[in-house]
Amino acid sequence: MEVGRLPISASQRGKLISAGYTTLTSLSSLSPSDLARDLKIRESEALEILKVASHDCRLDQPEKSNGIFTGAQTAWEMLHEEQSFPRITTSCADLDNILGGGINCKEVTEIGGVPGIGKTQLGIQLAVNVQIPVDFGGLGGKAVYIDTEGSFMVERALQIAEASVVDMSHYNELLRKELRTCQVEIQPTDILKNIFYFRICSYTEQIALINHLDKFILEHKDVKIVIIDSVTFHFRQDFEDLALRTRLLGGMALKLMNLANKYNLAVVIFNQVTTKHKEGSFQLSLALGDSWSHCCTNRVILYWNGDERNAHIDKSPSLKSASAPFSVTRKGIRNSASNHKRIKLM
Amino acid sequence: MNNTSSILCLFFLFGAVEDFLIHDLYELAAFAEQQPTSEKLKQGITQVLSIIDTQHQPWLNGMELLDDALHNKHVLSTGCEGFAYLLPQMLQRSTWVMLYTWTQATLSHPQRIAQFVGHIAGRAFDEAGKRIFQRIMNSIVCHSVFDIFTMFNVLHWLVINFPSQLQKGGQVRLLIVDSISSLITLILGNSGSQGRALMISAGYMLKKLAHEHNVAVLVTNHTVGGERGIPKPTLGQTWKSIPHVRLLLSGDHGHNVRSISVLRHPFMLKNAPVKGLLQGCKVFDLGGTAWLFQFILATLHEKVGRLNDVEN
Repeated sequence: MEVGRLPISASQRGKLISAGYTTLTSLSSLSPSDLARDLKIRESEALEILKVASHDCRLDQPEKSNGIFTGAQTAWEMLHEEQSFPRITTSCADLDNILGGGINCKEVTEIGGVPGIGKTQLGIQLAVNVQIPVDFGGLGGKAVYIDTEGSFMVERALQIAEASVVDMSHYNELLRKELRTCQVEIQPTDILKNIFYFRICSYTEQIALINHLDKFILEHKDVKIVIIDSVTFHFRQDFEDLALRTRLLGGMALKLMNLANKYNLAVVIFNQVTTKHKEGSFQLSLALGDSWSHCCTNRVILYWNGDERNAHIDKSPSLKSASAPFSVTRKGIRNSASNHKRIKLM
Repeated sequence: MNNTSSILCLFFLFGAVEDFLIHDLYELAAFAEQQPTSEKLKQGITQVLSIIDTQHQPWLNGMELLDDALHNKHVLSTGCEGFAYLLPQMLQRSTWVMLYTWTQATLSHPQRIAQFVGHIAGRAFDEAGKRIFQRIMNSIVCHSVFDIFTMFNVLHWLVINFPSQLQKGGQVRLLIVDSISSLITLILGNSGSQGRALMISAGYMLKKLAHEHNVAVLVTNHTVGGERGIPKPTLGQTWKSIPHVRLLLSGDHGHNVRSISVLRHPFMLKNAPVKGLLQGCKVFDLGGTAWLFQFILATLHEKVGRLNDVEN
């Protein structure tokens, strides 16, 4: 039954079938008022049904042009497209190394770890780094920061932004010695202006915001990263229907992937940890359960190794599983100091 | 008396063919007797029944089925010699392999595919190698789908365009949906049968595509913690019966060894050694995705070999 695959509600579908409209052609030459009368629904509703039906009907004509479904790409095209995308640096060379150069656009990356490991720090760092101008090898984009825990500190963001500007002028001086200059025109305050901050206080708000993001990014096309810190917080509180939670989170993940794909932006999701009973012992693993762990493209776990912070690539379709140390300094995320010493000793 | 008018009479009484079919035939005949236009009606009923009779799929006897299985169905290699068993007729009749991938969780990674192609071609990219590489990459077509209705549209488009693809010689041989569960779990609610109905019609469409067009269909599924924390595939009992073959991939966390076990296969007992894995006209269900690209590219193995011969 052709109307079965139309994206309409179950009651509308039932009404269509009982009124005898089972094929798309039966809907093709119908006026909205006729359909509204037959189905006993509002005319606007009938118009909506006819709109989706005519869209589907157009698919029925075989395309002569290229033999590829509209919106589909060949792997060859994708390879060339991917090579032209810069990555967003984390400001920690070791971490960038294992990530293949930084956080990738068009992908959803999940980062999880115990409290105090530096998740929010990494989030702020990425929100600043996405704004590094193209002349300096960055993206020159803007950031959306969705804060569910209230942990975003604007003073800290300013500190990291200032450090970033200082780094850029150092880089500039190095360049000047070589041959040419590009002016550091960006100011720390400009960096703060280009971070769009949303404070979310309930899971309903979170879902609503994610639904709204599409429109928001359409209006602000230069947004190149969406950071959600953290996706877990509200979903771990007073949520009894776990199956519903899985569905809501799955739907959210699909919407985020769609955003990443449509606007060529990076989505970074932070997650909390939980203890999991496995083979007789308790182990730390990321929260939200098994179904959620399928939702993200890449998964990075931050953990303590003695006194040192480490990042581990837990899941990625294109990267090798690897670990790297990093540290949180006054300037932001940087290479681990002890690692430097070790290299010097060697 | 002309045929159209007698069928028209019926049409006024029943509206749709479906409505007509749910009536008992004897009751219909008795009903027709009482009507003033009984002659016309009876004629109409016979007419419609004979039309319906020509619409069903043709009967096939065992020999014809065997012939179809030998000539139209192909086994695609998985690229892993441990369990792949290459049948000699693999890909022999396909003119050119074209793949459609829909990627959800792993938004496809062309660079990874490129690595596999390089590995399969087994040589540095010289001029001829580059051409082969480009042709392989061009025969993999990817479409991102974020809801089940878009997937229906793509499947439907595929069915409609099959004849024109045959003419051009670029026929779809393998269809991968990665992953089906991320689309379906969203619509499976606790209440209401709509989600379930959509899931079944998705399964039905995939099976039909596989059967009628000799396409191998591979769908990936997620796992959830089952009894005693042992992972089991999602989507439950209803989906269980849809794929012909179900494979479960597992791997120790932190170790590089992955294993594969057969949960369901029409020719095999449970946990028996795996032989030819992916056969044209079967629907597959895999738990896990990491192994996927190796698989896609390995299916092109033979193709590359043949191209090499052509180029030299």
